[in-house]
Amino acid sequence: MKSRSVALGVACTALLASAAAAHIGSPNVFFEGHAGVHAVRVVIRPPQTFPGIAQADIRISDSDVTRVTVRPALLDAGSEAEPPASEAVRVAGETQLWNASFWLLRRGSYGVDVRLESARGGGAVAVPLRADALARPTMPPALGAALLALTAILVAAAIALAAAAPRDVRRARVAAGVAALACAGALWGGDARWRTMDREFANALARPLPVDAAVRADAAQLLLHLALPASTPASSSWDTLVTDHGKLMHLFLVREPDFDAFAHLHPVRRGAADFEGVLPPIPGGTYQLYAEVTHEDGTAETLVSRVNLPPPLGVPLQGGADPNAAVLCMSPFALAGNAAQPTALDFDDSWHVRSPSAPGGADPARVAALMGGGQMELDTGGELVADRDTSLRARAFDRDGNPLPLEPYMGMLGHAALRRSDGAVFAHLHPAGTVSMAAAELLARRDGTASPFAQPAAGSEREVSFPYAFPQPGDYRLWVQIRTGGRVLTGVFDVRVRDRASS
Amino acid sequence: MLLLLAAIGVPLTLFWDFAWESTIGVDAFFGPPHAANYAAVALAAAAAIGLACRATRDGVEGVALGPVRAPLGAWVTLWGALAFVAALMFDRWWQASYGLTAGIWHPPQMAKALAYFAVVAGAWMVWIARQDEASGPLAAALAAGALLAMVAVVTVPQTFANRQHSAVFFQLGCATYPLVLAAHCAAGRARVPATAAALSYMLLVALVVWVLPLVPGSPQAGPVYNAREHLLPPPFPLLLVVPALAIDGLVRFAPGRTGRGRVLAEALESGAAFFGLFALVQWSFASFLLSSSADDWFFAGGGREWPFFLRVDPLARNAFWHGVSPALDGASATLAALFAIAASWVGLSLGNALAELKR
Repeated sequence: MKSRSVALGVACTALLASAAAAHIGSPNVFFEGHAGVHAVRVVIRPPQTFPGIAQADIRISDSDVTRVTVRPALLDAGSEAEPPASEAVRVAGETQLWNASFWLLRRGSYGVDVRLESARGGGAVAVPLRADALARPTMPPALGAALLALTAILVAAAIALAAAAPRDVRRARVAAGVAALACAGALWGGDARWRTMDREFANALARPLPVDAAVRADAAQLLLHLALPASTPASSSWDTLVTDHGKLMHLFLVREPDFDAFAHLHPVRRGAADFEGVLPPIPGGTYQLYAEVTHEDGTAETLVSRVNLPPPLGVPLQGGADPNAAVLCMSPFALAGNAAQPTALDFDDSWHVRSPSAPGGADPARVAALMGGGQMELDTGGELVADRDTSLRARAFDRDGNPLPLEPYMGMLGHAALRRSDGAVFAHLHPAGTVSMAAAELLARRDGTASPFAQPAAGSEREVSFPYAFPQPGDYRLWVQIRTGGRVLTGVFDVRVRDRASS
Repeated sequence: MLLLLAAIGVPLTLFWDFAWESTIGVDAFFGPPHAANYAAVALAAAAAIGLACRATRDGVEGVALGPVRAPLGAWVTLWGALAFVAALMFDRWWQASYGLTAGIWHPPQMAKALAYFAVVAGAWMVWIARQDEASGPLAAALAAGALLAMVAVVTVPQTFANRQHSAVFFQLGCATYPLVLAAHCAAGRARVPATAAALSYMLLVALVVWVLPLVPGSPQAGPVYNAREHLLPPPFPLLLVVPALAIDGLVRFAPGRTGRGRVLAEALESGAAFFGLFALVQWSFASFLLSSSADDWFFAGGGREWPFFLRVDPLARNAFWHGVSPALDGASATLAALFAIAASWVGLSLGNALAELKR
């Protein structure tokens, strides 16, 4: 039993990194699931520096919960090293929203244990969290000026004091010279130390890893090849990758400059430092690539690249789609092969192409055209505001306006990807939030609690919801993917997120 | 006297802060040890301002900077207090920007250490200049003890008993403590000034070792590798009194020397004696501190007291660590002895120079 727990713990550590998978500029963690009998939504805002204070908002479906505690456990430290739990407090005026703050002493992979007490037995859930420093700091000009002024005063005072203390003039001059040299040496040394530490800090920041991308033709297909550059640090090698949702890599392609073509693919591993996958028949052009991989040591890796794709090699579009349609939402119709057969598309691969001649929608923030004449509707619950918790709800309709039933797509009711117009934010969302469901379920098994996620039943759901808070204001493109009738459909939306200060 | 109390408060509050961070972990800007530490610096600055007001009014003693006159030590303390304000502003931004991810000895931390030393050194200089008063020599020795305690504060990670056979421990100790001991030996007027300073240091640190564990406390953040129920005491004070006695003997009681080589000769003898006795005594005492005989409230030894965040192999708790720093050997011992001689020379020169300055 003990060895099983250890193995699960190791596996949890390994998979936790996918909590932050394929995320750029989006450090907060969103989780939606169950803690015992209670449905919960947990939002964790980790600190940007360590030690630092993290904030957790816990919204509970029921108002009969009497106590909520939060405990962050560093996964590689073992359960015996867990700190005491922090008490959450009910937010004033709310019956279902609780807030807790807790310290994280260092960056790393955590399981944040949220426990609820209620007359119905309460419940517990462990939310995976990857805490990392993300940005290189810059000093505010006013503080810099104040420190500069104080330094000048201190240097002048030290020299003046050294010159005034001796009883004779010669010694006074020597003392003043020594003081000036000492001050200069101290400032030079401090500056050198600062530069060194800043460089080391910047080198250790969590940031996307550039990879080399190339395309080659193989018979009647184009293959996309991804490889680690030779300069990649050993800590980022692909020797220790583990799967998430059964895939070693989740890859997103978006075509520049107007992002009218999108693909969500799952290349397979071809060697120690390369992946390869079949390219679907998407238009040629320059594409931005975002990929997520997970290491067994708990490190999340977001990979980025750009690649020029040639036009498709005349492969007929699968599924009998009309190539003249305004919008193509495609995926392999039948199980074309599994991940061990890289000459075929993966069953879960999907892509979306919007024809240049497609008429613009009346409200691109709310309605998106789907292939076959249907449409997808997005409900954001009102105006989107940066850093404000929201639910992105999507429903799909056929050409006659009938709601389409949703089927599980890689174990979920849907996937979403979003990108800010300048590329500063890219995130991959699930109905369970931004956490990896695999990591959360492993944590649940380690803790002996029930799975926090309800398994979607095929055809019973008509709406998919993604919990999220946009981290920055700006214009975003949002791709929402669902599976219905065995086919993956992608709705594309353009939303504007306002600054919190101006809302 | 207020200045002396404030100066002593600086290392004491810093030891408290170290214990807080090692026991509770959650360390806010205005947490109790931090607030006490700021108060100690502010009190020292206020006392120095008081001395400056009196000197300016009387217009007799001290160093004049423009229209303001103050004892040299008061100026140094005031300089340290202003440097502390700048370092604190810098540190607050640093902690919010880099945290401790980039390392513990970051520039604002170094600036704070410099400021603390200036505050305490200023108090020492004030009392060195007031040794004509009845309590002067004792107060000066206590201030020198506070300076030695400051050295202990900034070197505490290297002075756990498990490291007290390592080369870096002896080199660090030889490069720092003899400087203060020799300076006080040269400038102090007690019969055995260096010994008095060393005893003051040992008493101050021992008080911390004895009092802090009486305060309950437990970690509030993780990971918690070592459960704690009370504040962590620092390592038991180093037995500096033995080499300090030798310094006093060689400088104060040796046959009188004159001429330009006097200070160098004293430094050679004092430094060599410091290294030899320090190594001999502390090497043996460290073995005792790691033994079960030292596992009590008085010595806080026995490999039992650890910061909660330090992952220590159970087998390493009572062992000497040489993984990071190798054990003292011939080459490193020679270097340590040279450090001691150099530090003694600087200390003796500074102590002698104090008499030549306006005070």
